Amino acid sequence: MTEISLAPEPALELGHFAISNTMTATVLTTLLIIVLAIFVRRGAGIVPSRAQVLFESFFTFFLDQITMAVGSEKKARQLVPIIMTFFTFIFISNLFILLPFVSVLVTGEGFPFLRTPTTDYSMTIALAFMIIAGSHVMALFISPLGHVSNFIRLKGFLKIRKPMDFLMAIIDFFLGILEVVSEVAKVFSLATRLFGNIVAGEVVIAIVVGLMFATKFIVPIPFIVIASFAGVVQAFVFTLLSLLFMSMNIRHASHSH
Amino acid sequence: MKMLAAALVMGVGSIGPALGEAHVAGKALEGMSRNPEMSDKLFTNMIVAMAIIESVAIYCFVIALIILFVS
Repeated sequence: MTEISLAPEPALELGHFAISNTMTATVLTTLLIIVLAIFVRRGAGIVPSRAQVLFESFFTFFLDQITMAVGSEKKARQLVPIIMTFFTFIFISNLFILLPFVSVLVTGEGFPFLRTPTTDYSMTIALAFMIIAGSHVMALFISPLGHVSNFIRLKGFLKIRKPMDFLMAIIDFFLGILEVVSEVAKVFSLATRLFGNIVAGEVVIAIVVGLMFATKFIVPIPFIVIASFAGVVQAFVFTLLSLLFMSMNIRHASHSH
Repeated sequence: MKMLAAALVMGVGSIGPALGEAHVAGKALEGMSRNPEMSDKLFTNMIVAMAIIESVAIYCFVIALIILFVS
């Protein structure tokens, strides 16, 4: 059976720094996106090319979703770039294994040179952290006091009339602290969802391939199809959920003052 | 012992998500059959909801992997 490791293996050595094989794959994904963008932009015009039609339909889909979430198209147009960047990046990195000759490249120590970027837990944690932290920064820009008062709730203490009110104020205060915990949990739930789904597909494929000699050739194809479908769905789910969290924070901040 | 623990995590942990996903799919199909024009919108929402429910099973899977492969 092939070795299954959850942590990425080192692919390159730059001085004292070991560059992991997910890192090389991430750089390759980024280059791929840049090339794709240049290719689509060059063919774009009044009479749309086929790639342009595809990308414009994605753009309108996300614009509609964001407009539904934040309420106005003007705000939505500010959010489209970050959301679509996340989607494109996660989409291409989830389907990284489908690129030809990716699994053939091997380093000197026998580790694969390229590995699907989203099977690195640090990667997904970083993506989720950027989303959540970014939404908080945006909410702070909209209304600093309103956003902070969602988490440190002192408003209840100001209007105490009878002893019962004091109890309610304390409960409200602790609910605000629980809100902080749930913000941290959001990062881990987003990251683990993406990581787990992609790793699950890869592990199943690795197990089927390593089962015996006869299962190396045709048998893995249905599993690869299922894994690719899960990758596409997870790219959508990650972006839609991050959009939901962002719009929730922004709306809370702009409503509470 | 580790094998047994991993098997139990997967086996017991996937009961809940399975029931939940079945419920979502059943309700979505019911809605689609009652109102076929809405089926496109319902389908995308169904997929997203299912993926979110499935994440519980995925957490179990990650825990099972950690039990098995991370010492």
